[in-house]
Formats: sequence, C-alpha cells, structure tokens
Amino acid sequence: MLKGLVSTQQAYSYAYLDPYAKREIRRRILKAIAIPGYQVPYASRELPIARGWGTGGLQATLALVGPDSIVKVIDQGADDSVNAANLRRFITRMTGASTTTDALRSTILQSRHRIPEERLAEGQILVLQVPDPEPLRAVQPDISKAAQLHADFDYGQMWLSLYEQLVRFGQVVHGASYPSVVNGRFLISPSPIPRWDTPKLHQAAHLTILAAGREKRVYAVPPYTDVRPLEFSDIPFQVEDQTGRVCKTTGAQNQFMNEIPLEDGTAGYELSDSGYAEKLANNLIAGPTYYIDGAFYHAGILRPPVRPDELDPAGHPPSG
Amino acid sequence: MYIATRGGEEAIQQSEALYHLLNGELKRETVQRLQESLPYLVDRIMGEASLYCPELAALAIAQTGGDLYEAVLLLRAYRATRPRIAYAQPVHAREVLTVRRISAAFKDVPGGQVLGPSLDYSHRLLRLDVLDGKSDESGLGFTPSERPASPTYPAVADWQRQQGLLRNQDADDTPAGEIPDLTTESVQFPASRAHRLQALARADTGGVLALGYSVMRGYGLIHPTVNELRLGLAEVMVQHPVTGVTFSAGRVRVSQCEVVAPAGDETSYSVGFAATLGWNEVKLIAASTLDLNMAAHDEGSPQHPAHAEEFVMYHTEPVESSGFCIHFKLPHYVTFSSTADNVRKVTQAVLGASNAAVTHMPVSATPETEEA
Repeated sequence: MLKGLVSTQQAYSYAYLDPYAKREIRRRILKAIAIPGYQVPYASRELPIARGWGTGGLQATLALVGPDSIVKVIDQGADDSVNAANLRRFITRMTGASTTTDALRSTILQSRHRIPEERLAEGQILVLQVPDPEPLRAVQPDISKAAQLHADFDYGQMWLSLYEQLVRFGQVVHGASYPSVVNGRFLISPSPIPRWDTPKLHQAAHLTILAAGREKRVYAVPPYTDVRPLEFSDIPFQVEDQTGRVCKTTGAQNQFMNEIPLEDGTAGYELSDSGYAEKLANNLIAGPTYYIDGAFYHAGILRPPVRPDELDPAGHPPSG
Repeated sequence: MYIATRGGEEAIQQSEALYHLLNGELKRETVQRLQESLPYLVDRIMGEASLYCPELAALAIAQTGGDLYEAVLLLRAYRATRPRIAYAQPVHAREVLTVRRISAAFKDVPGGQVLGPSLDYSHRLLRLDVLDGKSDESGLGFTPSERPASPTYPAVADWQRQQGLLRNQDADDTPAGEIPDLTTESVQFPASRAHRLQALARADTGGVLALGYSVMRGYGLIHPTVNELRLGLAEVMVQHPVTGVTFSAGRVRVSQCEVVAPAGDETSYSVGFAATLGWNEVKLIAASTLDLNMAAHDEGSPQHPAHAEEFVMYHTEPVESSGFCIHFKLPHYVTFSSTADNVRKVTQAVLGASNAAVTHMPVSATPETEEA
C-alpha cells in the first residue's frame, strides 16, 4: 500500500528540468505574457544540448509540455532538419509527449527561424528559439543602456539605422529578425524569422513565446496583439520577394520558398514549410495560410512593395 | 548527409555512433585511469563546470574523447538537474589546508613561501626516454621533509591591513543561502560582486586568459602584483537541512588568487580576487587581474572591453561561447535567403533594371558598382 504513495526514484525529473527551474520559467513566461514584448530575465539552466542550439526555446517547451502535449519541432521550416530531429528526440525521450508534423495538430510548436504558413489557432503555443533577444544590440551593445532605451521608448537610434540604410542602398536592407513593435510599446527582435513571417505575428490567434538560452531572456506576443514592423510612412516594410517561385514538388506559389541551386547554374524552389508541403503533396486538406492572393490576412498590414527602380529621383515611391 | 532534408534522425544517430567508434571503447577503467593521471585537466573541467566530482569530470572527458567544451557542457547539464538542497558555509583562506602558497609582493611572508607542487621552475624538455620504454622516473628524487609543513597559513592581506597598505573591509556576513547565486537567477548589470566572482570562477580558462592578458599587456591601466596565490583543500561545511547539525561533506581542491595594484589615489592598494574549484593557477591570476580592472572602472566608462564586467562575464562563459560558435554549423538558409533578397534588390537597383543581362553579370566587373 505504501508503494502506491511513493514515486519511484528516477535519474532525471519529468521533462528534464527540476521542479524549481520549471516553476521559475513558468513564472517568467507569465510575466512576459503580461508585459507583451518586454524581455524578462530568467536563470536559464544548462541542458544536454549545446548552448545556442535552441536551449532557450527548449526550456520554454520543457516547462510547458505535458504527457498529453502534441509537439512539433521545426528548423528552417523543416521537421526533418537534423537539429529539429534532435530536439524532438530529446523532448519525447524526457516527456513521453507525442509528436506531429502537422502545424495545426500541435499544441506546442517549437521553431527556429520560421513561422508555419498555415494559420495557427487559439490555444496553440509557438515557441521561437532566439539567438539575440535585444533588437537594439547593433546600435547599443551595452545591455544596461539598451534597457534604459526600452524603458524610455527611445528607439531613435533604430529609426536612424533604418534611415541610413535607405540613404546608402535606396531601401531598408534589414534581413531576418526584422525589428517590430509589440502592443505599441516594446521593440522586439521577432527572432531570425524571415520578414515574410513577421506580419504573421500581428493579431495572431496563438500565443508566441520567444526564449533565448544563452542570453537568458524570455518575451512573448500574447494572442491578438499588435505587432508592427518598423517602417516609414512613405517607405513600406517589404517581405522577401517570392514572385515567380514555384515549388518543384507541390506546385505551390506565393509562400516562402527554399532556393535550391541546380547544377546548370539556375535555381529551383521548394516550400520551406515541410509540414505544409507534406499536406499538399499527399492531397490532404491544408488550413488557410497567412498569405493569400497577394495579401496577408490582416488587410493593410503589408502595403505593396515598391521596387527600388520604381522610386522617383528623390527616392520617393510612385504616387497613386 | 548534412542538408536538412530527409532522414535527419537516422543521420545524426549514425554520426554520433561514428564519433564514439573512432574514440574507442568507453570503459570504467579508462575513466579511472584518466582521473588518476590527469588531475589538472580534471580540475580545469570541474572549475568551468562548477561541479566538483573528479569521477564525473573524468567520465565527461572520456565520453567526449577529450573535447573539453563538450565535457564541460556534459557536466553543466548534469549539474543543472540536481536540486540545490543546501549551501556550504564560506571558506576562509586561513582555514584552507594549503599545499602551495606564494606571494610575489614580498621576499618572505609570515608563514613562509611554500612552493608545493609546481612545474614553474622545471625545464620544459620532453621526456623522450619514456617513449623508449626506459624507466619511469617521475616523482623520483622527491624527499619528504622531516618536519611536516603547517597545514594552514595566515593571509598576506591581513598583514598588509595591519600595516595600512590595504584598506580594512567589513566582512560580508550574508548568510550562505542568501548569497546571490548565478546558477539559479539571471545576472543583472551592474552585477553584484557575488555574481561577478561566480562568473569568473566558472569562466573558460582560455577566455579569461585572453582577456586578462590583454589588460596585463597594454589595454589595462594596472600592472598587477600577485599578492597571494594558494592551492589547497577546503573542508566543505554544510548545515544539515533537517537536523541543523553542521558537518563536513568532504574536501575539495580549491585555488584562490589575490592581486594588488596601487589605488587611484596612491594612498593604498586595490585588491582583485578570484577563486575556483580545482587547481588552476593561470586562470585565477588572469581572473583576479580582470576583477581588479573591472572594479577600477565600475564607475565611469570602461576604456577597453576587458574593463567592462558585462563584456568579460558574457564572453568568457565557456558553455555559451562555445555553443554559440558551433551553432553556425546549423543550416541558416532561411536567414541567408532573407539577406540574398536584399542583395539582389540592391544590386538590381544599382545596375539598373533595364539591363536584361544584369543577373548574369559579375558585379565586380562593372565600374558603376565599384563607384557605389
């Protein structure tokens, strides 16, 4: 009878982290949700995965996962990427959670560098792995000073750096992890997702948790929260141009494509989102995507891109 | 196959298996032999891992084939799973069972200069005779002293305080359990002194040396004097969480180093300090020099990155720095294509969209781009 009351001794705690660590991370995540976009410091334990390989995201996932969770792990959009396979193997080994490649079935979706093309729903959690949580790092490497700039909502240096890019290159040349303002208050790095994925965060139905392991910060975009990329009123934010790119496997268009160099010197394309591609390839019914027919699902979040060669000599977009 | 498609799971398992195959069998005897024959390596790994267990450290070294950053990560990851059930009481220099203790500040110091075990004054000649199978003479010629040395020594700094060379500092009597703990809370800047010393204690030996050397060599204002360097064994005294009885949980090898330099106003000396688990002298001389420099620049702007605690603490973290460095092996094609999108748009804008051959033209061949 006593046997039923005591749990058997195990080498590791459920989901690897000890209960104190889990409690801390959960509390920090709650704070992050309560203050959208604010970087909440947390202790960040070492995991048996190399630092910088998704240990922040993994800690968030391990603090949230339960035996009933359905976990999807992707890297660059792919479920079968080596690092995604490794993280998934670790999560299931330590938790017994089930896994899926279907973004819409997952309860927790851990990702590096991508947000799936299909619209996530309420109740789903997207965990993004973050290498550098500080969007101001390039203009202010000192963390104490950057914290002061956030506190003062002083993003002048960031605007200036975008303006300098305009002056030098005729356009903003910020690549992935495009700086965006959450809830009209905090500037965040949305993690190195392509600009294509940035509008997906705006007024999204799901919860996004962004966690950095090395840098020991967690922040969040709660459901139905404004996320606006920094843009000038006359120079709209632009996503990566996917025009004319057709997936060689599924024939899909107008989604984020991997460019595959071919031996003849040209390039082929395939969907970056492997779970979505799998559905299309097997004639399964895919959910609605964020990007449909030239517009993101919130009308107006993305204004038409202006090609540099269309700018007038003064650098302004064509009128009308 | 490296590319992140198809069969990733099978590939990583085979890759790991091949790594272990090439490193030979992992056996208990190997681990024991490593632990006995490489104590300084074991110490270095334990210090950086901030986990004192020579057996586990030797296992980590053996299991990773001697890839030390991987070994430290193994130990750190294991350490992170252990709940913190108690905090040991502070260790005082005068109570450390000291086997080596030197001061460069004086010819002789109260208690004497105790060289102990050291390679400092050895001739660095490879013992080629060992490879020829000739006799093993290691340790030969060591004659134990007739009169055993004292196990404990007074601190050099105590004498200097009496002389007025060092300012008196109030002892920090924060209870053990309330000392800020780097491993269970995140560091905020400016960091507490406890966090700074803990970060140095578990810092990467090579990283601390590189930054410490930079301030010694020309990017620091201060030429340090090694006031006291100690290697010894410390009794780990722990209060039982239930009974309240204080008992010794065992002895651990520890090092500590104290460097001094004239304070800014030249009326006394400033002290830099570092301590770590295991015997690791080069790390501690560098770390205590960094501590001294960081303290001098706590107020005002640091003139060099190695004077700024934020810079030093972040960039000497072995697990974080090595992990992030090797993460660049991961596929990055999404971020790459995001920048390629910009590069193509800018190239097109620079060369003029009317030129149909633009995409096939080497960029460097056109004078316009060289101008731009």
